[in-house]
Amino acid sequence: MRCAIVAAVCGLLALAGCTNNPYPDADDHRKVLYSSFVEAPRTLDPAVAYTTAEHIVTANVFDTLLEYHYLRRPFELIPGLATGIPEAVTKADGSQSYRFKLRDGVMYHPDPCFTLNGQGQRARKTVAADVAFQLTRLVDPAVNSPAASTFADVLGVSEFTKRLSEMRKADPQFAALPPHVQYERAGRVAGIAVDGELDLEIVLAKPNPQILYWFAMPFTTPMPWEAVAYYDGNEGRANLGDQAVGTGPFRLATYAKQHRFTLERFADWYGHRPGSAPAPGAVFPADISPADVKAGVIDPAYAGRPMPFLERIVFTREREGIPRFNKMLQGYYDDGGIIKESFDAIIKDDQLSPEMVARGMRLDKEVEPTIFYVGFNMDDPVLGHSAGEKGRKLRQAMSIAVDVPEYLRLFLNGRGEPAQSPLPPAIFGYDKDYKNPFRQPDIARGRALLEEAGYKNGIDPATQQPLKLSFDTGNTTAQALLQYEFMVGAWRQLGLDVRVNATTYNQFQQKVRQGAYQIFQWGWIADFPDPENFLFILICENSRTKSQGANTANFCDPEFDALYREMKSLPNTDQRYQIIRRMVAILERERPWIELFHNESYTLNHAWLVNAKPMGISYPAYKYKDVKPKLRTEMRADWNTPVRWPLYLLALLIAAATWPAVRTYQRERS
Amino acid sequence: MAWISNITVILLVAGAVWLARVASRSRYWRESARELWRRRRVALVVIGVFVFVALLDSISWVGGARDGDNMTAFQARSIIDRIFQPETFKEASYSAPLAGVAFYGGKELKYPGAHLLGTDILGRDVVYRALKGVRVALLIGAFTSLLVIPIALLFGVSAGYFGRRIDDGVFFLMTVLASVPSLLLLIALIMALGKGTLQICIALGVTGWVHFCRIARGETLKLREADFVDAARALGVSDTRIIFRHILPNIAHLIIITFALTFTALVLSETILSYLGIGVDGSWGQMIDQARNELSRAPIVWWNLAGASILLFTLVLAVNAVADAMRDIADPRTRREGQ
Amino acid sequence: MLGYLVRRLAYGGLTVVGVLLLLFVLFFTVTDPDDIARKAIGERAKPEVYVQWKKNHGYDRPLFLNREHGAASAARYTDTLLFEHFRRMLTFDFGRSDADDTPIGKRLREGAGPSLSLTVPLFVLGLMIGVTIALFVAFFRETYIDRAMLVVCMLAMSVAGLLYIIGGQYLAGMLLRWFPISGFDPEASVVARFLALPVLVGLVSGFGADVRLYRTVFIEEMNRDYVRTARAKGCGDARVMIGHVLRNALIPILTNVVVAIPFLFTGALLLESFFGIPGLGSLTVEAIQGNDFATLRTMVYLGALLFIAGQLLTDISYALADPRVRLS
Repeated sequence: MRCAIVAAVCGLLALAGCTNNPYPDADDHRKVLYSSFVEAPRTLDPAVAYTTAEHIVTANVFDTLLEYHYLRRPFELIPGLATGIPEAVTKADGSQSYRFKLRDGVMYHPDPCFTLNGQGQRARKTVAADVAFQLTRLVDPAVNSPAASTFADVLGVSEFTKRLSEMRKADPQFAALPPHVQYERAGRVAGIAVDGELDLEIVLAKPNPQILYWFAMPFTTPMPWEAVAYYDGNEGRANLGDQAVGTGPFRLATYAKQHRFTLERFADWYGHRPGSAPAPGAVFPADISPADVKAGVIDPAYAGRPMPFLERIVFTREREGIPRFNKMLQGYYDDGGIIKESFDAIIKDDQLSPEMVARGMRLDKEVEPTIFYVGFNMDDPVLGHSAGEKGRKLRQAMSIAVDVPEYLRLFLNGRGEPAQSPLPPAIFGYDKDYKNPFRQPDIARGRALLEEAGYKNGIDPATQQPLKLSFDTGNTTAQALLQYEFMVGAWRQLGLDVRVNATTYNQFQQKVRQGAYQIFQWGWIADFPDPENFLFILICENSRTKSQGANTANFCDPEFDALYREMKSLPNTDQRYQIIRRMVAILERERPWIELFHNESYTLNHAWLVNAKPMGISYPAYKYKDVKPKLRTEMRADWNTPVRWPLYLLALLIAAATWPAVRTYQRERS
Repeated sequence: MAWISNITVILLVAGAVWLARVASRSRYWRESARELWRRRRVALVVIGVFVFVALLDSISWVGGARDGDNMTAFQARSIIDRIFQPETFKEASYSAPLAGVAFYGGKELKYPGAHLLGTDILGRDVVYRALKGVRVALLIGAFTSLLVIPIALLFGVSAGYFGRRIDDGVFFLMTVLASVPSLLLLIALIMALGKGTLQICIALGVTGWVHFCRIARGETLKLREADFVDAARALGVSDTRIIFRHILPNIAHLIIITFALTFTALVLSETILSYLGIGVDGSWGQMIDQARNELSRAPIVWWNLAGASILLFTLVLAVNAVADAMRDIADPRTRREGQ
Repeated sequence: MLGYLVRRLAYGGLTVVGVLLLLFVLFFTVTDPDDIARKAIGERAKPEVYVQWKKNHGYDRPLFLNREHGAASAARYTDTLLFEHFRRMLTFDFGRSDADDTPIGKRLREGAGPSLSLTVPLFVLGLMIGVTIALFVAFFRETYIDRAMLVVCMLAMSVAGLLYIIGGQYLAGMLLRWFPISGFDPEASVVARFLALPVLVGLVSGFGADVRLYRTVFIEEMNRDYVRTARAKGCGDARVMIGHVLRNALIPILTNVVVAIPFLFTGALLLESFFGIPGLGSLTVEAIQGNDFATLRTMVYLGALLFIAGQLLTDISYALADPRVRLS
């Protein structure tokens, strides 16, 4: 019996091969990059994809007309698929037009949706009509793209969408046709004009200089009509959201979205085809700054070399933070964030600890263009506009009570920049010397403000009890509840009784729709590096209750709106800066938000990962990165030798426990 | 709404005491109780302590706060709250059990050496939070069973006693509910009903009801054929009387044992619900969910998890042990004679 | 016998109808399709998009009675949510997920493999180890081994499953580095190392209850007359325990075990979720967190179906083994 047990345990472990490497050994020497993702992508349709996990794929599988320079900060646009960055041409009627010229000879990834071409392959060249098709898709209400409101300013869009919707309603057969046929029959959008094979003109009804940034996002990538028609989910074909047919340096090789997907190098990428002029988006930048080289971020040997360098990229799903982090430490992911639980062991005095340095790791810190804030519903009778001066003082008091440096210390290991206004560093309009008086924690002053508001010691004179307020959220995870408790604790010091109402997501959305909320917490990640992208969240026409817009605080200030309209189309001049400062002053006084922080990403990179520079705006561009497989295999073996002695100890213990029993039994037998 | 659960706990305990008094009239119960005490003294004392703590946490009233502390002046605070004074008895962040300095950074604590199991990330005392979870656990386990037992008895005994159509109907209902894997049914119910203590108790009740009903029905079927029931019927005793005076007392011991086993199953299911984000606020499951990531901190923070786990483990173990002993006592084969 | 079979099958069918009714009440009457639509496609879509989405996912009909059709036509009753629900579930046409439009049937096929590769070894090994330990302990009953094992079982049963998983991951994955902490790769050369840890954790968390149950059954068998006779005849202990006790005790054990077979498919929810195994259990957890009612409905239905099938099998095997059941 004893023998059987020991044999079983040994057998089990032998079967397991007793190693903690999750990848096949054959891949040890290939140029493969391993990374992870948390949430599964919902859709890979570039017109709709908007989350981080989705961008991991779309940013690398789809090429865009314009791109961001990988190394230059502040961010600069460079041509991608387009041959140059267009200048705006203003017409007599006030409209502005941009003219793009595409590079010739850009091929799509081979895919069954294409017909056979002359070379016996299922692939074809990219043309300007494909970009026009995608832009039309963006404004198509059935596609429901987040970019629809941006492109609504294109000439002729509202007429087109009206025509399209009417035709669809009138004839269900029409609605069942492939989209490119529908757009043809509904007549094109007037402001999207194709001229020949490679020329495209976009006409905007009113000036919008930020629109160029949208051409650096996968929203505006050229989309083949064959893919949209083919991938309709019928007869065993995938949905469009589960496929990605692009022109990018990598193509989607395998896609099990809840679990793992891989990208593989595309042999026919336009960067590989020798052309008259080397494409800026296809060669590694030559102007590498000495600071980047010194910090070990960029290897100067790569200057001017054609990209990409990797053979394959493997993304594995890791839903839990701790296994993800530990596998990264073990060398099974090439880079990763630092979980707060291990922070103090990895970072000492804001530098990498000696153990990490000994492992050859490199730390990247970047304050990202984000803003996290607590918002007040300005439509609320107690807290909002209608409460007048009283409401304003109340908001100011609550704002001055929240100690963000303490919050950052507790929950984020101090990673983050306490926010003084909605604008993060590196965005035009940010003033590093500005200190918002209501964001420097001061409980005494808060109490004084509260008294001025008429709530002495937090008591509501109408009820003679502490003023009751409600903090509404749809996030019920343990971490989030702890963070809300912190805020509530801060307001309790003023004497206010704030209750956290954490419901299911659906219930929360219902409350928001009905306007039945007082205090909430939200965050915003910039789409592009322009202050308009932060300030638009506070203009009245975007009010959540009125028009389902992003202004969940329902902030409505006519002066603020007027200033916004003024500064929106200005280039980055001193005049624009002054306008922005005035807008920030209004926000300081009115306090629709309690600005919390701009988060700071700390990324650990292994010694074998080359050319990894953090890009907050754009998503990881893997075409620039490279790995050193031999170094990786060596270091992994070093860090991951299994500990075997407990096994022997266990076997010994089992034997020792049962030995006397067996002896007694044998004695009885004989 | 908190006072509703307070009343519930007090009523539960009062009800248990009243039942004990009623039962003590019969010799069988007195002897069984004595036997149980003999076998499982420690476990019973442990359970008693837990019930006492839950009671302390249920007696709450407004008032008696310190001058100027308006928040607590208007809150209903229980005896446990008043003993621990959580508004003031807290630190800035983590501290190890009985430590004098903060865990990270080494600053002096406000109450050095006073926190028996340290403090959590927001500086709250772990012992206090774990003790607050006792009442929640009791509510989940006992209140749910209390919701369920009368209904299950009603259905089960009627099915077993009256038979035929009623039996067919109840049996069908039982089969349908039992066919759905209980965890999935639980989740589906909570998704439909929404989050909240009452909803979770109802959902737990629906999934646990079948077990009780099955036992009640099975035993009633057996008892219906017994001689004394036949005799009672021959004498013209009404059905209701037979049920209340003969059948119910005879299935009572089984109901109690099933109650004890279901109690632990319910409390343990709640930890799974907390992991999925749909558990009860303030429960041990929520503490474990909040604390499980802390095991990976370097240096390790173990006291948060330990506090909730130890209490959970102790209560479940004690109830399991008592249920086991009760089963042995009820079974004539393992019960010792003449004691 | 045939009569019994037919009656049992009919009753099973009736139970399935009951389950479908229960699911209908839970999923269609209590929850609002508009909420599901909004969760799936966001708050800011145009109204026509919501209408289209509800149409695609079968939420656009009335509950019981479709007054758009005449009183005489069948469509009055068949063009309803209730009828559609029954029709689709009974024909296994599960439609598309509410969260991301993937065909549910496809996800089921993809998830079945990993789930089975976890639960089948867990089940088989759990049975083998549980029976072996219980046999050993029953043989040495009333000795210190028996008492110690009873205490160990009691302690093991009292620890929450969640804590076993957390502890197991920490110990074996982090400290001892025997296995990957989590993850899955169906490639044959590496699949075993991903399954070893979840199977081990599953075994440890389940063995307490199993051993106690089997021990009781074995001890009951051992007290029977024929065992005493066998011993008196001089049969070796191994022969008696394995040849007689085990064989006869196997029947009640196996009937308990057949009931657990449906869970092989629904997968061990917690284990799959924590260890990142992309099986059916993990699918269910995601459906919960993503408010995906269509997938959740399907999983609950399949679980119930398998359970009913398992019960049927048990009853039939009982009828085959025990003539008293057949004749009653």
